[in-house]
Amino acid sequence: MEKRGIYQRYLNRFGWLCVAPSIVLFCAFMLYPILSSLYYVTRRWKGMSNTFIGLGNFARMAKDNVFQNAIGHNFLFMFIQVPLMIFLALVLAVLLNQGIRRFRGPVRLAIFLPAITSLVVVSVLFRVLLQANGMLNNLLLEAHLISTPIGWLNDSGWAKVTIILAMTWRWTGYNMVFFLVGMQSIDTEIYEAAEVDGASKIRQFFRITMPLLAPVILFSAVTSTSGTMQLFDEPNILTWQGGPANATMTAALYIYRQAFFINADFGYATAMSYIVVLISGVFAIVQMRLLGDRRSK
Amino acid sequence: MKKALVLALALVMAMALIPGAFAQKKLTVWCWDPTFNIYSMKQAAAVYNKAHADVNIEIVDMAQDIEAKIISGLQAGGAGLPDIALFQDFRIEQFEQDYPKAFVDLKAAGVDFSKFAPYKVGPMTVGKAVYGIPFDTGSTGLWLRTDYIKAAGLNPDSYYGKNLKWSDVIKLGETVKAKTGKPLLAYQSDNFDMLRIVVQSTGGQFFNADGSLNLRSDAFKKSLELFKTLNDKGLLYPVVGWSDWVNAINTDQSAGFLNAIWMVGTVKSRPENKGKYMVIPTPLIEGVKGAANASNNGGSSWYVFSNSPNKALAVDFLKSVWATTTPDTLAFYNTILKDAGAMGTYLPSQSGSNYTAPDEFFYKSQSLSKDFAAWMAKVPTLKYTPNYVPMRDAVAHATLNYFQGKLKTIDETIAAAEAEYKQVMGQ
Repeated sequence: MEKRGIYQRYLNRFGWLCVAPSIVLFCAFMLYPILSSLYYVTRRWKGMSNTFIGLGNFARMAKDNVFQNAIGHNFLFMFIQVPLMIFLALVLAVLLNQGIRRFRGPVRLAIFLPAITSLVVVSVLFRVLLQANGMLNNLLLEAHLISTPIGWLNDSGWAKVTIILAMTWRWTGYNMVFFLVGMQSIDTEIYEAAEVDGASKIRQFFRITMPLLAPVILFSAVTSTSGTMQLFDEPNILTWQGGPANATMTAALYIYRQAFFINADFGYATAMSYIVVLISGVFAIVQMRLLGDRRSK
Repeated sequence: MKKALVLALALVMAMALIPGAFAQKKLTVWCWDPTFNIYSMKQAAAVYNKAHADVNIEIVDMAQDIEAKIISGLQAGGAGLPDIALFQDFRIEQFEQDYPKAFVDLKAAGVDFSKFAPYKVGPMTVGKAVYGIPFDTGSTGLWLRTDYIKAAGLNPDSYYGKNLKWSDVIKLGETVKAKTGKPLLAYQSDNFDMLRIVVQSTGGQFFNADGSLNLRSDAFKKSLELFKTLNDKGLLYPVVGWSDWVNAINTDQSAGFLNAIWMVGTVKSRPENKGKYMVIPTPLIEGVKGAANASNNGGSSWYVFSNSPNKALAVDFLKSVWATTTPDTLAFYNTILKDAGAMGTYLPSQSGSNYTAPDEFFYKSQSLSKDFAAWMAKVPTLKYTPNYVPMRDAVAHATLNYFQGKLKTIDETIAAAEAEYKQVMGQ
């Protein structure tokens, strides 16, 4: 009895030792920032000095059109880009799973590659392609599809399209891989049974593939939504600091600029990130409800 | 055999330790442009190493977000910062306000600031302390492609060296555009620089003496009006971002541009530009009192961080190369002027031969440096204040929206800029 107790205690200690590094890291880089943010959020920060303003940062947000518009851009990107991307990823996954027999490996790699390519390199290439006298405009002009060059990076409307296209290009392959794995784990007997019953391919897709894939789609939707709420790289590099004229400014980029570029106001930046976290959380819950219900049917 | 092995091991270990014992003294410098300030700093390091061979000066290219990196470092109490950094003059008042005591007082360290151009020393002065070593001037001119002017059937010589008015420039631009199809000026449409050049040439200010925003001046309105005219007549070639702007210039998209002397390096980086460019004085805005045919854009300075463990060495390096008159330092200033277009603001250096030498790279071997130096003396001083960056962004955004028709009048544009400034500043 006694011996076993010592052994258990040893096991316990060893277990704690094993998780200690991650607990230390968690406390230093997650817990401490979260706790200290409670202090930051009540203050107006200015470099080394700060003053207590209570909920003043939230009042400031209510008057700050730049921030409100930035959140609006986040929503716009989310509502258009996330469904578009998931649809495309599904189509590609189905094609790769059933349609294409040859070169499946290279095609899969080509579609996945954008997700692991450095965004800085990509943005430089995209900027060359999308300039007023860039390749894309020249091609469209040659083909007489447009009569004047499109301001992919210059015009406030087209710049948003550019961001959506760039995000879709970058993340479709990434999500497709999840769907592909999900589809391959579905038992082929189910399809054979459906075939015998005379169900068409399309019917099979909606009645078998989609419901069985729901957890994977949910995962993609939630991660993509929170990813879009944190969108930073594309508007910072591709459309140049949220340009033109803040037309692609996102919440994350504005938070960064308030803290590290314009005002050194870490209090205001913290308060704004609270709102972003809140919005992401609400969307995650809504999505889980919607897709979760469907799964249990 | 074993003994030999032990001996060899001991030797290897000893050799690994020796460099540690005789480590070189090391300074780290952050700047960002390989053909310009990085090049200049490398030359400066070479001069210093002549007398101090044991000092290793490492120059780091911080092309992306150097100011954001400096702010994060200052916020972290100096962690991760280099010994010396270069940044734009319009940033120093913000840093002084947000992070007092972040930089070493170089006046107390014995630098003679009477030998630097006063307009550079002003923003970096707080009370008796002066925090930086002024680097380059941003004296501006109108850069024109003589080959396109000729192609339009005009004679470049009738513009060469002339103090033009903007109305003359618009006429020139219209002819060039009609005959060659080239817009006169490459224009960064998301960027404030060109507007700043025009407003500063009028002697106008973006801020009042008490630091409040001042966009309702006659000078500012007239400048905006001019920009709208240039835009509506198709005389601007709009691009987004610095690299696209440089690209537009070096792929012949425009017949010229309006910017500072530090564009010399970029223009010279393309051999095909040889003999084509001439630079004439910054055009004049008519009807604004105090306007001059001269302006300024950019310009930056070197700063030593107070938290640097090597600050004494860093100060000695900056002081003995950038702020002391010796044959070596004068030769250094003369070199960076010719090779990089880096016109120092250390006044004794302006006797160097390259300040007056003709430059065969330009049309009619124009003595470019001499001209820019002469214009520099006429530049009206611009007041930056700690809030220059949010003002700059707000004005640039409103101007672009005005060009694209989202804002209809100049008054609406000014109101939009003021509103964004207030919101971003939380006022």
